[in-house]
Amino acid sequence: MPPRKKRRPAAGDDLLAKKSRHDGMYKKYDSSRIRAEEEAFSSKRCLEWFYEYAGTDDVVGPEGMEKFCEDIGVEPENVVMLVLAWKLDAQNMGYFTLQEWLKGMTSLQCDTTEKLRNTLDYLRSLLNEPTNFKLIYRYAFDFAREKDQRSLDMNTAKCMLGLLLGKTWPLFPVFHQFLEQSKYKVINKDQWCNVLEFSRTINLDLSNYDEDGAWPVLLDEFVEWYKEKQMA
Amino acid sequence: MEPETQRKANFSALAHTNGLTKSSALASKPTASKKLIIKNFKEKPKLPDNYTQDTWQKLHEAVKAIESSTSIKYNLEELYQAVENLCSYKVSHTLYKQLRQVCEEHMKAQINQFREESLDSCLFLKKVNLCWKDHCRQMIMIRSIFLFLDRTYVLQNSLLPSIWDMGLELFRCHVISDKLVQTKTIDGILLLIEKERSGEAVDRSLLRSLLGMLSDLQMYKDSFEARFLEDTNSLYASEGQRLMQEREVPEYLHHVNRRLEEESDRVITYLDHGTHKPLIACVEKQLLGEHLAAILQKGLKNMLDENRISDMTLMYQLYSRVRGGQLILLQHWGEYIKNFGSSIVVNPEKDKEMVQELLDFKDKVDHIIDVCFQKNEKFVNVMKESFETFINRRANKPAELIGIWECLYLQKYKLSIVFNAYCLHIQSHSDPGSIELTVNILTMGYWPTYTPVDVHLPAEMVKLQEIFKTFYLGKHSGRRLQWQSTLGHAVLKAEFKDEKKELQVSLFQTLVLLMFNEGNEFSFEDIKMATGIEDSELRRTLQSLACGKARVLNKLPKSKDVEDGDKFSFNTDFKHKLYRIKINQIQMKETVEEQVNTTERVFQDRQYQIDAAIVRIMKMRKTLTHNLLVSELYNQLKFPVKPGDLKKRIESLIDRDYMERDKEDSKQYHYLA
Repeated sequence: MPPRKKRRPAAGDDLLAKKSRHDGMYKKYDSSRIRAEEEAFSSKRCLEWFYEYAGTDDVVGPEGMEKFCEDIGVEPENVVMLVLAWKLDAQNMGYFTLQEWLKGMTSLQCDTTEKLRNTLDYLRSLLNEPTNFKLIYRYAFDFAREKDQRSLDMNTAKCMLGLLLGKTWPLFPVFHQFLEQSKYKVINKDQWCNVLEFSRTINLDLSNYDEDGAWPVLLDEFVEWYKEKQMA
Repeated sequence: MEPETQRKANFSALAHTNGLTKSSALASKPTASKKLIIKNFKEKPKLPDNYTQDTWQKLHEAVKAIESSTSIKYNLEELYQAVENLCSYKVSHTLYKQLRQVCEEHMKAQINQFREESLDSCLFLKKVNLCWKDHCRQMIMIRSIFLFLDRTYVLQNSLLPSIWDMGLELFRCHVISDKLVQTKTIDGILLLIEKERSGEAVDRSLLRSLLGMLSDLQMYKDSFEARFLEDTNSLYASEGQRLMQEREVPEYLHHVNRRLEEESDRVITYLDHGTHKPLIACVEKQLLGEHLAAILQKGLKNMLDENRISDMTLMYQLYSRVRGGQLILLQHWGEYIKNFGSSIVVNPEKDKEMVQELLDFKDKVDHIIDVCFQKNEKFVNVMKESFETFINRRANKPAELIGIWECLYLQKYKLSIVFNAYCLHIQSHSDPGSIELTVNILTMGYWPTYTPVDVHLPAEMVKLQEIFKTFYLGKHSGRRLQWQSTLGHAVLKAEFKDEKKELQVSLFQTLVLLMFNEGNEFSFEDIKMATGIEDSELRRTLQSLACGKARVLNKLPKSKDVEDGDKFSFNTDFKHKLYRIKINQIQMKETVEEQVNTTERVFQDRQYQIDAAIVRIMKMRKTLTHNLLVSELYNQLKFPVKPGDLKKRIESLIDRDYMERDKEDSKQYHYLA
């Protein structure tokens, strides 16, 4: 059954192409229709587009990913790539599987590089909406961690935090510095989630921080460290 | 069948008789003509006109005679008959009225004797008592004569009091209700009781009689008891205040006990028994209830410090009598244990003796609970809680001592309660020294693992061990018996130059000491060779015997530590104030490595406890805010713990998916099943 389904639109395309070639009368009309057809999402095209980067595998790997980024004109470490991965619900950083690709790109209605490029602004805009940002932020943890580990290793964590909070949270540089000197080697999910909460609710002078609150010890230590640092 | 035939027979007989009578009547009628004579009516027997009056006169005289205690002219039988006759003649009503009048006049006359002002209180009471006794005797006599009246006419009229009750009523109205008499009587009684309370001997039978009188007259409650309780109350209120200041607590408690006994005795001897409850309650309240806390604050610590068993027993008994008494005793008991325990635990200088002191302390409180507190479970529980509390006070100090302590505590506990390792007792009679061997069988696995240490035991001991081994293995085949020489201890009889002593020592100490039966002086190396005790263990053993508190051995040269080549000799000049002396083994100094290990173990152990508590709470509550969880944890955990440590455990449990943080509200946790 699926093959026949796939063939149908392809056959339709041919018919349309023939029609336009033979029927000059409808040319003007047709060209706009063709434009519409091109703009309309095609699973087949999406699939072909996927294999442009995946090669013979059923997954876009590091090399393909590099080329993909180049094509859509985005640095691999750009935050928009994280949003895209989130939209694709990609499980592993640096990889898009066929399934993720098809499902995700379908939801974005993208089957070409160009269409995706036009969607980037939309993706960026998702970051400005707090609820979405929170989902992306939480997603980032699982996305970035080694799948055989429960926690995120510190280097990756610092990068991801920089990506997500670097521009919006004025205390990020200090926090980064704190992590640098701390003995922590990993960050667990609970700590990760609470860093966002912290960045959103705690004043820059930390005046509304409650040591007896539910904050993870990591943040207690950060606050203590920062206060001592300011005293000195 | 039988009744029926009989009935028939009756019928026939009846019919027959009828016929017969009839026929004879018919036959006689015509033959005899009879003359009818009417006689005059016989006159009904009449009492002489003055009979009623004369008889009453007799009775009146008799009553007068009784009242004046003179002899009665008539015979009592006759008088009784007279009353019966009058009653049959239906003059009961008048008779009762007349009797009452006579008695009333007599009672009215009685009051005069009490008018004299000069009578002192005691004589007055005696007079009242005499009057009452006379009255009773007289009324009994009068009632006997008028018994027929009492039993017929009076009994049938429910409104009339019996002759006895009439007597009481008259006595009450005309004698005791007199204001002067009543006041003097009651005051006199109270005065007598007061005198007795202050230690004077008083006429108790007089009191019993008078108070019995008040009861009979139904005046006891209203005119006496209320005032009596009032007096008692104020007496003991002031006595309690005063003696609490003046006396030591044990002395005070004995006083209270004596007071309670006295008052009970008072009730038995002369008070109405209905007074028992309010009277005892009043004494308990004023002497105990008002001073519950003060007594404990003032005296409990001393009593416990000095191990005053009988005083503590009394205190428990007294406190159990009053409401809330046990509760407050319980609180102070807990406080005492905590304070005393902490003083042992907290002082780092005492670390060496800590374990022994704590074990001794535990023995002591166990004994108090058994003997003084009747094994009351509440006291046992509070004791356990208090022990937990003070042990954990030392948490921030080096944990290793507590580690040891907890371990020993556990052993002790297991020894006494949980696993009844059973004791077997063997005595060898053949030896002149007569050694007794008691064996504790400890089941492996329930007990910490001890490394068996081989030492050279004297032949007598080995022999006993063999006997026991044969016996035990014969009884339980397939078991393995392993002797733990490190746990052995013995009581040795020692003869010094001036004194005979019993030494309570460990097995190692025993082995060393026994050597001095054979010779006077041994070097460290000699002893090591002979006993086979491991080097450092032996050094500590010798240290305890020659450098400790009770030095039964002399060491040459004198110094604190045992060095190679040191020489030891028996200290014949040894003196000690006790007959039985316990020589404590010197506590092994833990190595740094061991300290770290113990700390680690304690820490680990506590982590599990915290984790378990968190999961337990979350499982029950499902969803809980951080603050509530933490406060609940502080309720449940018996050892001190920092909030940060709790948070770490919470985070760890989140990380391990036992619970999760709410996605929106980061201060709230959910339990994950």
